Amino acid sequence: MIAFDGIHKSFGDVVALDGVSFRAEDGKITGLLGPNGAGKTTALRILYTVIDQDSGTATVDGFDTHRERQQVQKRIGALPDAHGLYPRLSSRENIRYFGQLHGLSGSELEGNIDELIGLLDMADIADRRTEGFSTGQRVKVAIARALVQKPQNVLLDEPTSGLDVPSTRAMREFIRRLRERGVCVLFSSHIMQEVAALCDEILVMSRGRLVAGGTPDELQRQTGKETLEDAFVTAIGSEEGLS
Amino acid sequence: MKAPSRFRTVFAKEVVDNLRDRRTLAAALFYPLLGPAMILLMIYAVGQITKRAEGPLQLPVRGAEHAPHLIAFLEQNHVAITDAPDYPEQAVSAGDVDLVLVIPDDFATSFSAGEPAFVQLIIDESRDEARTKVRRAELLLYGYGRQIGSLRLRLRGVNPSVGDAVVVDRVDVSTPQGQAARILGMAPYLILVSLFVGGMYLAIDSTAGERERGSLEPLLINPVKRSELVLGKAAAVLVFTTVALVETLVGLALILNYFPLEQYIGARMTLPPSALLSIFLICLPLMIFVVAVQMMIASYTKSFKEAQNYISLMLLIPAIPALIMAVLPVKESLWLVLLPTVGQQLFINQILRGEAVTGSYLVLGSVTTLGVGIALLVMVARRYRTEGILFR
Repeated sequence: MIAFDGIHKSFGDVVALDGVSFRAEDGKITGLLGPNGAGKTTALRILYTVIDQDSGTATVDGFDTHRERQQVQKRIGALPDAHGLYPRLSSRENIRYFGQLHGLSGSELEGNIDELIGLLDMADIADRRTEGFSTGQRVKVAIARALVQKPQNVLLDEPTSGLDVPSTRAMREFIRRLRERGVCVLFSSHIMQEVAALCDEILVMSRGRLVAGGTPDELQRQTGKETLEDAFVTAIGSEEGLS
Repeated sequence: MKAPSRFRTVFAKEVVDNLRDRRTLAAALFYPLLGPAMILLMIYAVGQITKRAEGPLQLPVRGAEHAPHLIAFLEQNHVAITDAPDYPEQAVSAGDVDLVLVIPDDFATSFSAGEPAFVQLIIDESRDEARTKVRRAELLLYGYGRQIGSLRLRLRGVNPSVGDAVVVDRVDVSTPQGQAARILGMAPYLILVSLFVGGMYLAIDSTAGERERGSLEPLLINPVKRSELVLGKAAAVLVFTTVALVETLVGLALILNYFPLEQYIGARMTLPPSALLSIFLICLPLMIFVVAVQMMIASYTKSFKEAQNYISLMLLIPAIPALIMAVLPVKESLWLVLLPTVGQQLFINQILRGEAVTGSYLVLGSVTTLGVGIALLVMVARRYRTEGILFR
């Protein structure tokens, strides 16, 4: 369970988040939709504890992201925008490192790694050094590394960005499986179809504000539009930055 | 099974990761050997120059038949006369021979007539290694000229010493030991360089490099205290630094204790294991300091390249006192030993010369260096707690 209450965050004169509040429930996929620069990445970064908000509270399973940073870190798995790997380590070693940092070891850790390698269909690259991997292969390792501790809350920043069609489909399938396990999934995207196809709850962001939110049906009703696509455009006020 | 601590996990990962990096390995294993190799090379070079000065002087002469008396004089003075090449000037400028003495056809005529008789000495002034030979040849020719001149004056009933208005008596006090000590004077700086080089790539790779390749943000999301991250990385850098230092010290010890130095510089210097251990212990606080400086620099720079530039520049700062110490005899003083890197260079110098190190200075210098090092590490850990570590 993720809660965001009245969050403000500025970088110098630039207001990145201007009073944003939302909830993301367990067993649901919540999508943050908005054009580039809407504040999606900033919101996720506050949640996965690498930056602090100026005001407001953000909690994960009731733990404050600022004051109880390590408690939050234990409960989340996050794929940040930057997901560089260690090129001289194999996929498995990259994943194992993060598992160990979560305090896992022995058969529990190895079991989790093998399970993710199977789920993400990456047995062929599991024991290769990650130097020279394609974008798709990198994202798979980065996802496995982020989720090796089987977190209850999963934060994904543009998880399908740069992926080809088969990889994108596989990623969506993977996200659905997380929901089946009762995980709280919050992901960001600027791709309307993706959010529409995947999400139980959609949060539409624009210029640091939440401009609409709800299930796909609710969104259509709120904006009085026939299609979800028109609903997004109406909510954001322009088509700029969406695809 | 208990999970290893976060500190150990970070430490082990950095060590394994960097053992696979050729650049890091070269820096830790190969570069530190360059210092002792350089000293060996200089000892060899000095030995060659000394040896050349002591053996008979090989002097190519053209027209020896015009001055049999001069040739006899030279041969009496340990000169081995050899045939001159066909084109003496080309041969000297090409470096085939160091010098050539040319005695012209009219030498005998002028000589018998009591007029100045000219000989040509063809040399290349820019070649340092020929300098001692040239000097010996010049002195001998000058000596011969004076000898003949004196004889002529005596024949005319004049006291030859009338011509000696001023007599210069050179007293050369340089000893082979002095030369050896000068070469060894570089050792403290070489040790310092090995400390900086050993862990440099790891220090950069694990901070600026981590940010550059985009693996820092994912790393920081893990439930690990930032101080544990910094300490784990620092410990890994320290291991590589230690390896480099030990290598340099062992190399030095091998040269001083087993290489037949006396054949080259006429003196024997030894570095007993106790001195080696003292140098190592003196370097311990210095290693912490060096690791902290490198991580500090690398955590503020944007890229691997930038960090590398600054850290390389850092190496020049302790080189300044090192150079001054090599040229001028620097007396230890409190403010000098309190400066990290300077104090340690002084102490190592004293140990190499077999002098006693002042205990109070040693303690103060070590504590200061260690203190500054720890303070810098705390600052690095602070830096890791800020948002700035990710975005700049």
